[in-house]
Amino acid sequence: MDPITIGLWTTGGMLCLVFLGMRVAFAAGLAGFVGLVWLRWNGFDYAPERFGKAVEISVKIAGQVPHSKVSAHALSLIPTFILIGYLAYYAKLTTALFDAAKKWIAWVPGGLAVSTVFSTAGFAAVSGASVATAAVFARIAIPEMLKIGYNKQFAAGVVAAGGTLASLIPPSAILVIYAIIVEQDVGKLLLAGFIPGAFSAFVYAVLIIGIAVIFKNVGPPVGGFTWRERLVALPPALPIVAVVVIIIFFVYNPFGDAWGTPTEGGAVGAFIVFLMALYRGMRLSELKDALIETAKLTVMIFTIIWGVLIYVRFLGFADLPGAFSDWITSLTVSPMLILICILLAYAVLGMFMDAIGMLLLTLPVVYPAVMALNGGEFVSAEDSAFGMSGPMCAIWFGILVVKMAEFCLITPPIGLNCFVVAGVRDDLSVQDVFKGVTPFFIADAITIALLVAFPAIVLWLPSLA
Amino acid sequence: TFALEAAATEWNVSVWGKRRAFTEHVEKLAELVSEKTNGEFTMNISYGGLSKNRENLDGISIGAFEMAQFCAGYHRDKNRVITVLELPFLGVENLEQEVAVASAVYQHPAAIEEMEQWNAKLLMTSPMPQYNIVGTGEPKTKLSDFEGMRVRATGGLGKAFESVGGVPTSVTATEAYQAMESGVVDTVAFAQHAHLSFGTINQADWWTANLNPGTVNCPVVVNIDAYDSLSDDHRAALESSIPEALDHYLANYAELLERWDSVLEEKGVQKVEIAPDVIEEFRAAAADPARDAWIADMEAQGIPGQELYDLVVKTLADAKGGS
Amino acid sequence: MAGTSTVLEDSSLLSRLDRALLPIERVMALLSGLAAFSLMFLAAYSVSAREFFEKPLLGYVDYIEALMPLIAIMGVSYVQRSGTHIRMDIIVGAMRGRVLWFVELVMVLLILVLMIALVWGAWAHFDRSFDCARPLCSRDSSIDISMPLWPSKLLVPIAFVVLCARLVLQAVGYARALWLNLDRPVAVPLIQSVAAQARAEADALEGAD
Ligand code: NA
Ligand code: NA
Repeated sequence: MDPITIGLWTTGGMLCLVFLGMRVAFAAGLAGFVGLVWLRWNGFDYAPERFGKAVEISVKIAGQVPHSKVSAHALSLIPTFILIGYLAYYAKLTTALFDAAKKWIAWVPGGLAVSTVFSTAGFAAVSGASVATAAVFARIAIPEMLKIGYNKQFAAGVVAAGGTLASLIPPSAILVIYAIIVEQDVGKLLLAGFIPGAFSAFVYAVLIIGIAVIFKNVGPPVGGFTWRERLVALPPALPIVAVVVIIIFFVYNPFGDAWGTPTEGGAVGAFIVFLMALYRGMRLSELKDALIETAKLTVMIFTIIWGVLIYVRFLGFADLPGAFSDWITSLTVSPMLILICILLAYAVLGMFMDAIGMLLLTLPVVYPAVMALNGGEFVSAEDSAFGMSGPMCAIWFGILVVKMAEFCLITPPIGLNCFVVAGVRDDLSVQDVFKGVTPFFIADAITIALLVAFPAIVLWLPSLA
Repeated sequence: TFALEAAATEWNVSVWGKRRAFTEHVEKLAELVSEKTNGEFTMNISYGGLSKNRENLDGISIGAFEMAQFCAGYHRDKNRVITVLELPFLGVENLEQEVAVASAVYQHPAAIEEMEQWNAKLLMTSPMPQYNIVGTGEPKTKLSDFEGMRVRATGGLGKAFESVGGVPTSVTATEAYQAMESGVVDTVAFAQHAHLSFGTINQADWWTANLNPGTVNCPVVVNIDAYDSLSDDHRAALESSIPEALDHYLANYAELLERWDSVLEEKGVQKVEIAPDVIEEFRAAAADPARDAWIADMEAQGIPGQELYDLVVKTLADAKGGS
Repeated sequence: MAGTSTVLEDSSLLSRLDRALLPIERVMALLSGLAAFSLMFLAAYSVSAREFFEKPLLGYVDYIEALMPLIAIMGVSYVQRSGTHIRMDIIVGAMRGRVLWFVELVMVLLILVLMIALVWGAWAHFDRSFDCARPLCSRDSSIDISMPLWPSKLLVPIAFVVLCARLVLQAVGYARALWLNLDRPVAVPLIQSVAAQARAEADALEGAD
């Protein structure tokens, strides 16, 4: 049998296991392992006496992967980014942010909702995970909005949508994972997420103001804060600014030499938030909880990483990605149309799957195909299909798929952020949240279309660095 | 067609990075072998798809693939014998000499024996020019300039700079550009092709033309079982292609080196010639202690360190005398 | 994302074994967390040593790479115990009774097959780097400071053996539920509805406020 056929069968089997409910990490690892055995035994012409040898070689190839793949310097960003989020929570940065945002910007129409969006964006700058952000703000922001007469579905939708910003605005675990899988510069990708993340927040805010102006009862402005109150609200939120500045300056310093590497920046940022949490009276038991929670999330993510990489190792021997990109580039359809189809496929897949699992399972095959569509890894901007060089295309596509993954956090039927918000609030059903989030759904679709049509929004900042 | 299929041999070859000067001999070898056997013996060269570069020797030992390239400095404890070729200031002047000393060491029983532990057979070297440094700021022309210099240099080379007050700083090759940009390091030691492909040349203000502190040694190996099970024809095709593949590599690298001067000029990088007495001083501080320590370390582990070192010195002298 | 499930307990031998394994898993998870925590100090130390004292930490990358398996893999069994490894439960969530236990049992057994293979493979990976006839037993070393790699490689089979033990317990738990047609079996993570799961996750954060 030809290796490509084995690759296709094994991939199909893996998808069946995943849909049946096998833990994604192990389904991928198992598919990879079985595929390796099959491929090797196929090479031995299925001689019964050589089956044992085929298993032994495959076991040893697969058994290398977990240690080999996780012991990479760049991956140390993931635990650091997760730890920062938990520490920021104990440093009480969330309430401080919302308070400051409320006092400064709640006077616009839809004021509290706009404040919520900007404070989730601010919290996104210290948090690597979207779901945690939604859970935290469901508790802080929704009661305040309801108190002054917001529509409760709308209030829930704002929080569910605002929570998604954490995956795009650095630090972001998911961007790091993308960078590792496609072997691109982590720093540039993190930098690239910044403007599209802020842009998404901006589109949300415009949308909210528009809705508030048209439907007068949706979200009244909140005024009456004195300048003194406003100024007093600022200092507790300042550590966020410090962390943002540090992470950005470690990646790219507009005024001179960058301060170090992104891995160092993340760790120093975490250190500052840790000091802040200590100052705010974090107890030892709380620290222990934060560490256990960090370990759980980190290990969960890394298990998918090494599981999927066993499958990827098998793909390397079967050369399925090569065959897929040959097929894609042989199509006589315009590259842009194919790219849009790929993004739509992600939207559909994302309705049913977790973002990290989805990206890890698909990128090994899809990414080389997209790069080939653009004209290859080394193509210059002039000769390319999308008008950008190979490395820039890698960054652009990364931001697009991460934005797609965020979009999937608020789409039914498995929009996780909506479930989280409904879970936190007794008075809200999941249907309520999905109803309330619908406008943001449209805002996200517009944002994605703009990022596709104007790649400069994504590429301007990384092209400076 | 059954007979034809039975005779077909397909090898997987694990290298890493992208196709570049450093992998041209492997590409050429695959091309020649296929040509000579009418396509019966083919090699699939995979750039990173089959293994992590630091585990290529593990992959050979497992039998995951049949051929691979690796560098001795990645994991000295896996390949102690051939690290003799990475000692600083051996005095190798060009790639032809590099090929000569590497082949001599590869044929030494100690090297053969150590590689056999990994089920590997040394096929050929990937000759690398001297790892001269690029740097930012004022050129370093005196030994005292190296004091406190943060240099990206691995293995024996890192130790050499350390012995004259430099601080070897660990960043991976792919992070080297950014480390230089951010001032994490102020100098980077690479071969020319790597200065080009990792972009360190774009950050540089100067390049040392004649410091020649040493280099890394990166052999290409084959799995012994796979080699032994080759038919006589196929083995002959493989063996006879090695010199041709190396010639191709040398010619290709020579072209790159010819372009090098114009690259320096284009990027505005100053070519720094270090005075002979400074180099001599550096060598005395770095090379002699490193060599003595290496020999003592090897002898203590039952490896003929002195003999290996003498072999390098003698082969090099012969190569220089011959050319 | 991270699903939190409940594991019921009673006085049966299975449940006691489940609770006996749990503290070991918890300590291993805490080790993962502590190692992640130490990254922060290592980086802060490295940056300040470089910027303020002109003396970078030699071998910084090597230390981090040796720490990563500890961070990334040690807690793998704890995460399996609590059912936090992500999956798509849209189909399995709709199953009830014996069908559900059968599917869960088959999936746990498949994972067990994979993990036994990986214990063997990870051990072989360690074994290739370990040779006590040599200094520090080292047959494979790191790139910058030639630190032996075997201790870091040894962590992986250790963590995987504990995971295998956990999988055996879960397999017994599901098999028992299938055999006795139980409604709420002990020692296995029970699926909550997605909403209840989200609630549990939110509560985990609440505890800290
Ligand atoms: Na974030
Ligand atoms: Na979804």
